[in-house]
Amino acid sequence: MSSNDDYMLEVNDLLVYYENAIAINNVSLKCQKARITGVFGANSAGKSTLMHSISGLILDMKEKEMRKGGERITWYGEVKYNGKDIIDVKPSDRAGMGLVLSPERRQVFPESTAMENLKIGSYLATKEQTKKSLEFVFKLFPELVNMKKREAGFLSGGEQQMLAIARALMAQPKLLLLDEPLLGLAPSVESRLAQAIKDIKDETNITIMLSEQYARPVFPVIDYGYVMENGSIVLEGTSEELMNNPDVLGAYFGM
Amino acid sequence: MGILIYGLINSLDLILMSIGFALAYGVSRVPNFAHGALFILGGYLTWLFLFRFNIPYLFSALLAVIITALIGAGLYRFIIIRVRGMPISEIIASFGVGLAILEFLRWTGLRGTTYMLPSFFRGGVYIFDIPVDFQRITIVLSGIAILVFIWLFTSYTKTGLALKAIAQNERAGLVLGIDSDRAAMIAVAIGAALAAIAGIIILPLGNIIVETGYEVLIFAIAVSVCGGLGSLKGAVLASFIIGYAQMLTVSYIAPHYHFVVAMLVIVIVLITRPSGLFGKQKELEERV
Repeated sequence: MSSNDDYMLEVNDLLVYYENAIAINNVSLKCQKARITGVFGANSAGKSTLMHSISGLILDMKEKEMRKGGERITWYGEVKYNGKDIIDVKPSDRAGMGLVLSPERRQVFPESTAMENLKIGSYLATKEQTKKSLEFVFKLFPELVNMKKREAGFLSGGEQQMLAIARALMAQPKLLLLDEPLLGLAPSVESRLAQAIKDIKDETNITIMLSEQYARPVFPVIDYGYVMENGSIVLEGTSEELMNNPDVLGAYFGM
Repeated sequence: MGILIYGLINSLDLILMSIGFALAYGVSRVPNFAHGALFILGGYLTWLFLFRFNIPYLFSALLAVIITALIGAGLYRFIIIRVRGMPISEIIASFGVGLAILEFLRWTGLRGTTYMLPSFFRGGVYIFDIPVDFQRITIVLSGIAILVFIWLFTSYTKTGLALKAIAQNERAGLVLGIDSDRAAMIAVAIGAALAAIAGIIILPLGNIIVETGYEVLIFAIAVSVCGGLGSLKGAVLASFIIGYAQMLTVSYIAPHYHFVVAMLVIVIVLITRPSGLFGKQKELEERV
């Protein structure tokens, strides 16, 4: 194995409980620098909770639940980003460290125009970075150029997803987290977006971690993958290794 | 013609009274029920600085606005934050603070006609033979100026955009690096500052009395509910509807109905359009 320096993100023995129910059970995984890492699994496998633990949203959830006197959320283990444990860092501060999430179900700002969404995305960026990133996202998604003035809530699902990824790119990520970026999209849009995700990696060297329910459309673009079931990782390997595993084929490719 | 002009003045009066409330709710979903109290506090502090400390009018006003804004920030930072996400508790907590401020002022002797802010400029002009004094013209102009300012602020500054983002989707904002608690605190502080500004501009038309604080809160709620909670556009439109409706009843029916009209408008709007004129909560459903 290569040294630890090659890993941007390391999750070690992570356990997350919602009250007494276990959502993440002893998960360890790594994201290599400038590579795309995929996490696959069915609904309720723990993908979103994992993403929330890495992006930090789980801290926000915990606090909200505490104020309401609702579910107790607890976690144990480490989330190391560039060698530093960040498990107690606020999500907004993690974004400042370059850890940016494009949330599940897109979550664009519906009443703002597409352009305003991008401007909000560049909250932490300098003027020059904003200009460069704008050029890049419009090159990546030329569709967005004509949508600048449209309200994001009225865009189609595929357009909203492009906008959500573009918005995350505006925040100058070093590690980009994509939570189910292909959810509910048409097959042609799926492959278009998978290609865009690969382009992001190739052209910017941004490390990408994505979660997805169906592996097929993103499989060609990922470098390494993990398969989750009931909160645990059951399989891992390079894209070829997973592709040649009959269990994976059956469960996640429908073959 | 008189109705047209005074209706306009009344409408901008309502905009001034309610815009701070609508803004704080619109951008941070904090129902600041201490709004009326902050309105009176702004006026009272100005009076205090002006007559007790002999500070020039402009500086007294500025100081009062800044202090009220800080109180607004503190209100969020130390009180509302503990019950954040539970609207009923937020209402009770902020209303409690409002009550405390107003009744404290009453206890210190804020009643009667002693407390009066002078007009900014004396005199007035005739517009189409209708006499209008300069204070009311100030209300109209500053109302428009504040609307322009808010529009510029929320569409061109980073802080303004961040506030807008948090209002629409808190989590999506958080992962882009926007601290939602800080944003909400800024929103409430700006709302408080706007309340104080409104107080300073409107109060010279009468006395500074505690009851006005409760009235302002009711008008602010009326305008916000009618316009659709959280929508500034709606609040402006609702101000004009209620403003002219009040002016018409005052001129053609009886002056003391002017309060009833505001309530009646709420009832009618809630029956016909439950989410308000511009309430967007239900219209923009997520597309999958």
